[in-house]
Amino acid sequence: MSARDEILSAIRTRRVKNAPRPARYAPPPPESDLVKQFADRARRTAAEVQILNDLSDVPAAVADILRGKNMEAAIHLPPHSPFAALDWKTAPGLSLESKSPGPDDAALALVPFGIAETGTLVNPARDSAPASWHFRPGLEIAVIHTRDILPHMENVFARIKQSGALPHTINFVSGPSRTGDIEQTLELGAHGPKALAILIVEEA
Amino acid sequence: MTASTPQEFPAEAHAALSDETLKVALRRLKTHFALGRQLAFTRYGDMEALREQGRAIRDYALSRLDSLLESFERQVKSRGGQVHWARDAKEARDIILKILRETGAKTVTKGKSMVSEEIALNPFLEANGMHPVETDLGEYIIQLRKEPPSHIIAPAFHLSKEQVAETFRESHTELDPRRSLEERTTLVLEARRMLRAQFEAADAGITGANFLSAEEGAAVIVTNEGNGDLTRLLPKTHIVLTGIEKVVADLDDVSVLLRLLTRSATGQDISSYVTVMLGPRNAKEADGPENFHIVLLDNGRSRLIGTEAEDVLRCIRCAACLNHCPIYGAVGGHSYGATYSGPIGAALNPNLLGVSAARHHTNASTFCGRCAEVCPVKIPLPKIMRYWRAREYASGLAPKAMTFGLGLWAFAAKRPALYRFFSATVAWTLRKLGGKKGHVHALPIMNGWFAVRDFPAPQGKSFHHLWAHRK
Ligand code: SF4
Repeated sequence: MSARDEILSAIRTRRVKNAPRPARYAPPPPESDLVKQFADRARRTAAEVQILNDLSDVPAAVADILRGKNMEAAIHLPPHSPFAALDWKTAPGLSLESKSPGPDDAALALVPFGIAETGTLVNPARDSAPASWHFRPGLEIAVIHTRDILPHMENVFARIKQSGALPHTINFVSGPSRTGDIEQTLELGAHGPKALAILIVEEA
Repeated sequence: MTASTPQEFPAEAHAALSDETLKVALRRLKTHFALGRQLAFTRYGDMEALREQGRAIRDYALSRLDSLLESFERQVKSRGGQVHWARDAKEARDIILKILRETGAKTVTKGKSMVSEEIALNPFLEANGMHPVETDLGEYIIQLRKEPPSHIIAPAFHLSKEQVAETFRESHTELDPRRSLEERTTLVLEARRMLRAQFEAADAGITGANFLSAEEGAAVIVTNEGNGDLTRLLPKTHIVLTGIEKVVADLDDVSVLLRLLTRSATGQDISSYVTVMLGPRNAKEADGPENFHIVLLDNGRSRLIGTEAEDVLRCIRCAACLNHCPIYGAVGGHSYGATYSGPIGAALNPNLLGVSAARHHTNASTFCGRCAEVCPVKIPLPKIMRYWRAREYASGLAPKAMTFGLGLWAFAAKRPALYRFFSATVAWTLRKLGGKKGHVHALPIMNGWFAVRDFPAPQGKSFHHLWAHRK
């Protein structure tokens, strides 16, 4: 017998329990409006959060964040990024890079879903958003629209399933990279980004 | 350091009691992990309902493990991934080596995986000309020090930052020997720099999985550092190694278990990264693995189904039982001489290593019940330990003194008057010894037992006494 068949048949012959499927879990409802809860919880994960009135404010906000962190005035955009279409002249001196970001670079991502319960960004891998870009840079700047903030992780899975074929990877990101491996003391920026800035764009 | 064996547990535990660095680290478990868990539970609200849901989700999955695994396999295959089944550690190691050889891999980055420790994968890969590099910071540190992990989620928690600095100085010889390594931040940044090069160079990546979902065919991992993702995404081949018991019905069930896992483990509402891995990349995508393999390991898990110990299969490896265990809290993880330590180790090891080899683990319990109280999926750990002790006793492995003691107890227990006399005398003696603190540290004839245990002194009246009173 193959290992597969042997394992499956061992499970079948030994089983005595027949536990019922539990009713769907109803997570605690949001305490406040979704955007506010999302922003509060994201800040709790050590993300920086700003609310912008319009997508056209993104270039200036990006330039500001980089200046505030004394970082080079350069932002990495993946090939096919929807942000290439923005008017970047509103952020003079800022250069756009398309090669994959190094550990001290900054990268910009459009995030299709957010989770209010935990302040989490959800990134299904796709052509215009390579999954590794959420882990390579030193700073990730993530843009999310208020309408894409959903209450719980379950809601996000439902949306992704509705939209057709599943991606190879879905990355849930809550705050910057961190480790407690040395003396159980929190340090940010272990392998992934040392900082995460979230720009929430209000709907027009 | 040479790894100890489970049989040496009493001696190792004794030595650990006088290890001052370890004492500091163990104390931190209470102020960091245990307190963090408590705060996270309070913030959430109805944790009890969540725990009950977690238990029910795991029980449902375990009672139809076969069909869930088949569905999982179908889904993974439909998206171009491959699923391999391993009866035991050797089969799993061979499968992994074969995949690596077929893809021409040499350098292998690794995400943290207790199953990989369980099958002793690293020494095997090294012996076969591969170069495995652990990338979780804690695992990286102990790999450099050639030590086994001392905790299932914080493998290097037993070390001080000075010890880590010393290890980095000895291992990273290409860096300036006069550099300062006093701060934790500097150590983390140095590891970040050293390991980034390894991620970029790796031919294959191996990670574990915290959960598998049957309906979607997804493997899910939870990390804080992002190392698991760089391990998956940068190399050409990604191998997921995990136990067959990890599967649940769907991603909604995973969502519930995630709420329990991170709160119980580190006190976080969610970890920095949760990654749902569904297959290899499409041809037109810029990154992600071209080859995606899942290795499903049995290694004695299926044998537990239908036994009194089967509830242990619900475990989501959060380590809360370690962080709240008085025994683990006194002697740490290395003393156990096994991959899994603490209460979950005591519940798993008799099956993995044999009841005889693991007998000291199941005996090292005060039966205080803290582990079962904090377990997010309500595993009755003391009951499972008792089950293994009974098995050990039945197989005649119990030491003579213990058999004699139990025989005496049975003799007296069948004779109520004698029993009352004995228990009243013993309770009185223990109360005297326990003094104000109510803990007994040593009894003249039980040195072996008290070497690793404190015994709560009996409070109030005996059960016999109360029973008589109520009637
Ligand atoms: S037995 Fe329970 S508390 Fe212990 S590691 Fe497993 S899930 Fe966590």
